[in-house]
Amino acid sequence: MWLPILGLILGVSLGFLSDIQIPQEYGNYLSIAVLAALDTLLGGIRAHLQRVYDDQVFITGFFFNILLAAGLAFLGVHLGVDLYLAAIFAFGVRLFQNLAVIRRVLLTKWSEYRKVSTTNTSK
Amino acid sequence: MKRKWMFTFILLIVGFMVAVQYNTVQQPEERDTRDLWAIRNELAKERKLHSELLTEVRELDKTIGKYNASEGASAGKALADTVHDLYGQAGMIDQTGAGIVIDVVPSEESIAFGTPLHEVSPELLTRFVNEVNRFKGIDMEIDGKRVTGLSAIRDINGETTVNGLAVSLPPFQIKILSADMESSEKLYNFLQSSSILDDFYLDDFVLEVGQPQSEVTINGRIDKFENHFLKELPKGG
Repeated sequence: MWLPILGLILGVSLGFLSDIQIPQEYGNYLSIAVLAALDTLLGGIRAHLQRVYDDQVFITGFFFNILLAAGLAFLGVHLGVDLYLAAIFAFGVRLFQNLAVIRRVLLTKWSEYRKVSTTNTSK
Repeated sequence: MKRKWMFTFILLIVGFMVAVQYNTVQQPEERDTRDLWAIRNELAKERKLHSELLTEVRELDKTIGKYNASEGASAGKALADTVHDLYGQAGMIDQTGAGIVIDVVPSEESIAFGTPLHEVSPELLTRFVNEVNRFKGIDMEIDGKRVTGLSAIRDINGETTVNGLAVSLPPFQIKILSADMESSEKLYNFLQSSSILDDFYLDDFVLEVGQPQSEVTINGRIDKFENHFLKELPKGG
């Protein structure tokens, strides 16, 4: 549990300390890549909780989604259609769905745990 | 275990991306596009400010010196002097010194064509005041009305007013006091070549800028200050 959080903290501090800034015109791509990454991450957590997690699906999904989203945005810029909005919409919806599923699973687990503990104490 | 490492790695990447994005959004790189001369100009401006501040400090030091020197009986006189100085600075008392007198008269063309005489518009007067205020340390009077930092030049019911008092139809006089004869000369030369003369001409007026004189007297403001914020301390407080 703590190791992934440590990784997150490490990544954030690495980003802040290196003080890297990307040019304004590529900001769109990065923001959409961040969204894709968050979506995949939450998807992975959900799969883990539902016990259907697969390493390969997770890792390929992560990179593929990021590349696809950035590519879509790139294509959109060249076609003059705001295609990145489609990606934002898709990822945004999925993000919330994943969050909802995670919340439900955690709630079920918690209520089961409480039921068990109350039956234990009543005995 | 492997899964944990994988999550760690992915979170590391996510964290890094978020931090970079945050950096990019928070500090859009502002390019300094000034060239050498623009920077020199700015430097000159700051230098000028520096020298002005130094002058002010020197004057305040002099006042402090005066207070210290005049302990006891004459302390009251020093205070009265300061009050008098402050009144002078605020434009409340009449002042005499080197300066120039400008006559605002209708242009000959407008008289020849019989154009009806009209008032100098507040916009034109404000423009003139702004133009003259490029010079520091001047005191000005427009048609007998003292112009200070608190003066409003505006239109009240169709009349051009300064400090709420109507400015008469041209011809009238504008008097400008400078610190010394030399500054008056400079102001005279500046006004002679200024485009403000053209602006007045477009409105059918001519500014007749008089030669610098060593003694010009301008009136103080007649209306009192409205003081909303400063209050007198109770005695001994």
